[in-house]
Amino acid sequence: MAIRVNPKFIDVLGRFGAEDVQLCYQCGDCSTVCTRADELYRFPRKSMHLLQMGLEQKIETTLEPWLCYYCGQCSEQCPREADPGETMMSLRRWLISRYDFTGIARQFFRSRTTEVLAVIIIGILTGLFLLFYGFSGGNINVYDGAGAFLPSTFIHKFDLTIGAVLAFFLIINAIHMWYLVMVKGTQFEVPWWIYFKQFYQFPWHFFTQKRYSECEKKQQHSIYMPWLLHLGLMLGYVIMLVLVMVFIENLQAGPEIQWQVHIFGYLATIGLVAGTIYFIRSRLTKKYIQYKKSHGTDWMFIVLLFIIVVTGIAQHIFHRTGLLGPANITYVIHLMAVVPWLLRMPFSKWAHLVYRPLAMYLSSVRREAFARQEVVSELYPVFIK
Amino acid sequence: MCGTNIAKMVDVEAVAGFVSGLPNVVLARTYKYMCSNPGQEMITQDIKEFQLDRIVVAACSPNMHERTFRSALRLAGLNQYLFEMANIREQCSWVHTDIKEATEKAKALVYAAVCRVELHEPLDSVSVDMCPNVLVIGGGIAGTTAALELADAGNTVYLVEKNNYLGGNLARVDLTAPHLYSARDLLTERVTRVMDHKKIKVFFESKVSVLTGFIGNFKGTIHHLNGNSPDMAKPVEVEIGNVIVCTGYKEFDASRIVHYGYGKLPNVITSFELEKMIRTGRIETKNGKAPKYVAIIHCVGSRSQEFHTYCSRVCCMTALKYAHEIKSANPECYISDIYIDMHAFGKGHEDFYRRSSEAKTMFLMYEKDDRPVIHKASPKDDCEMLIEVNEKLSGEQIEIPADLVVLMVGMEARADSYEIARIVNISQDKDGWFIESHPKLEPVATTTDGIFIAGTCVAPKDIPDTVAQARAAAARILARIAKERIEVDALYSEVLEEKCSGCRFCNQLCPFSAIEYLEDKKQSHIISALCKGCGVCVASCPSYAIKGRHFTDQQVLAQIDGLFVI
Repeated sequence: MAIRVNPKFIDVLGRFGAEDVQLCYQCGDCSTVCTRADELYRFPRKSMHLLQMGLEQKIETTLEPWLCYYCGQCSEQCPREADPGETMMSLRRWLISRYDFTGIARQFFRSRTTEVLAVIIIGILTGLFLLFYGFSGGNINVYDGAGAFLPSTFIHKFDLTIGAVLAFFLIINAIHMWYLVMVKGTQFEVPWWIYFKQFYQFPWHFFTQKRYSECEKKQQHSIYMPWLLHLGLMLGYVIMLVLVMVFIENLQAGPEIQWQVHIFGYLATIGLVAGTIYFIRSRLTKKYIQYKKSHGTDWMFIVLLFIIVVTGIAQHIFHRTGLLGPANITYVIHLMAVVPWLLRMPFSKWAHLVYRPLAMYLSSVRREAFARQEVVSELYPVFIK
Repeated sequence: MCGTNIAKMVDVEAVAGFVSGLPNVVLARTYKYMCSNPGQEMITQDIKEFQLDRIVVAACSPNMHERTFRSALRLAGLNQYLFEMANIREQCSWVHTDIKEATEKAKALVYAAVCRVELHEPLDSVSVDMCPNVLVIGGGIAGTTAALELADAGNTVYLVEKNNYLGGNLARVDLTAPHLYSARDLLTERVTRVMDHKKIKVFFESKVSVLTGFIGNFKGTIHHLNGNSPDMAKPVEVEIGNVIVCTGYKEFDASRIVHYGYGKLPNVITSFELEKMIRTGRIETKNGKAPKYVAIIHCVGSRSQEFHTYCSRVCCMTALKYAHEIKSANPECYISDIYIDMHAFGKGHEDFYRRSSEAKTMFLMYEKDDRPVIHKASPKDDCEMLIEVNEKLSGEQIEIPADLVVLMVGMEARADSYEIARIVNISQDKDGWFIESHPKLEPVATTTDGIFIAGTCVAPKDIPDTVAQARAAAARILARIAKERIEVDALYSEVLEEKCSGCRFCNQLCPFSAIEYLEDKKQSHIISALCKGCGVCVASCPSYAIKGRHFTDQQVLAQIDGLFVI
């Protein structure tokens, strides 16, 4: 069945950041320099062409955009300045909006105003709610225990609620992604046991981002800094999320330092501070090609995270030094940034925290199933065809 | 030795040693590069010093260096025909792998040359008058350019045009790629000047029906195609020294490719039909609507085993030009460009291609032998037609919406090119294009002296190349006119009057029409200036009445004998 081309799609993707994809004349230099592209997953060249032709139904089932970590080598090599790296990035943005069943992601990517307004409104509502709650039963000068402004038991429930909302959207969208890739987009048979056999891929890629460390530029530096800092930042907020969701009561106890949890908090903070400063600086100086073009949503993520980190540190210091009033106020500001940041996650680039390791996992599943298919068809060519 | 070209496979010292022992051989030398200046000087010196009267050079092909060594002989005051080349490179060292056997063969070749050269006779070149008038066949951009170049230098030009207007195929074009100059602007200036030029006589709706004679002294007959009016019916005889053939091309007949439904689907048109629409200022479908989707299909009739294997060279850029023109006429229109390869080889072409990409033309590639198929769309589609393509770069089976499909028809040789080739006595290749005397070094000359070819009757080419060829042909002719007389090689055949019985076998066979029949003597006569010395007449003559100068029976037989001695 022939797929209808859609010449308008290229303009749609323009809103997601792919501004130069029409310049591509399919020489294939990008795929040649890419260490991540292979026989089964031919990108960026093929992804660029699918985009030029506007084969939406095809693109939504591909994994290729997730297999790219945007080292920028392809964009540097491109003889036509078609910016394949940024195109892959905008395809990821588009895929996020495609996996998202609510349509919110699409709105955020396409309109910066909508996103900024949503973040501000959620932030203000959170602030009002917390102030109302604090003043109704607590004392602004009490940080923890009885009569506290924001007691840790309450915050724990509050966090778990937010976490549940977050998980709800992410899980549904991830299932949608699985459906598009493995059901709609996979023409060959995938036995169920391969899913089990390859499952280790998910945590492995989640915690190491191994493929990113193997990007081309690694050869130029002994350690590939974008990978290391990206990993540090990611592990930083993942550790923080776990601490906040599970150990908030220990975390908030004090004023003595609770070493059994705080040691992890300090380590995570190092990753977060280094990561946010590095990425903000890179996006401003534009030295590396992958930071040359920043979509509005990129800034929203990193700036909110920076506010969270700074207020988090301030609140911690105020609490430990006995300035409980300021500690409570920074706590409210901290949460005013945390809540929209978290709620925005399933509808933003941040969702790649889940989609990317999932894509690695699914790509390994597909790869094994495909190899098996080839072996089977070699053995029994007649039955397969 | 030719460096190591010969020496690596032939023991040249052994050959020289062998030759120096032969009867009548005074001297045998080896040298690293005999064709170099010191090598030639050595020959000149030796001729003077040893009073040599025959020279053999065992080296490369005479095609390559016979002229070089002949001039060395002339410098030493020896007749240049007392020379023979033994080809021990192309016919020996390059094609053998055994040094011993190759050396033996080289000895045989040299011995054969020595045997032959003993019988060589001194010959004199002949020279003939050069008539300064020129006949130009075809009044397109090539013909008008060449005619003006020649006439501006003060020569009379007869310009014969089949149509009743000048400008040829270019007159049907609106803008030119890639700089978007107006074709009309290019032509008008040329055509007006040709029409007003005192030295140019234009024959409209005419053709050349007979051409006789030889370089410098042709006679042509020009016929009016439409002989209704009595004064025009009379053929005109002209005397000319040189001829330029620039009869152009015709476009491929798109209905030959059934996949495209040309002639059946109303909105499938050829590039020239679109050109006409653009010139009238209305690009629209048959029912008068502005098209929303336009598809351009490349290589229609070109680059396929079924039709023409060659590339027509201009269609890629013309297609991009259409994309540009359609888009500027209707910015809402989506254009897809369905191609095999994008040939953007010329000056400014790559930039033009890039600009087309910037304008978001959708480029789709199809496999050479897997042509797109055009269907009528169903009523619920928002387009007239759907084009199915196995898109090569993605491997996807896709369909492309189209309201208007433009077929980029390639160039092919004109139907009457065979007739023209016969009249002016030039050759055609398998596709009907006229053949140059050398594809690289003699691009506008033909194997018939005095007949030149230029433009798209030689092969598909764009306007700059066509104009360059027209000017090149004109320049070649101007150089000859300036010399007033022309030297002809002495290698022609002669009829021995005492033996010729006038059977006229040879008259029919001569590929250069060089043999005339003298009614008064009842004998055949060879026009030396026209004869190329091919030897067909010599071989065919039942009474051995024709002698091929420099290729006499005795010379050839001596050479063969020489080969078999070893």
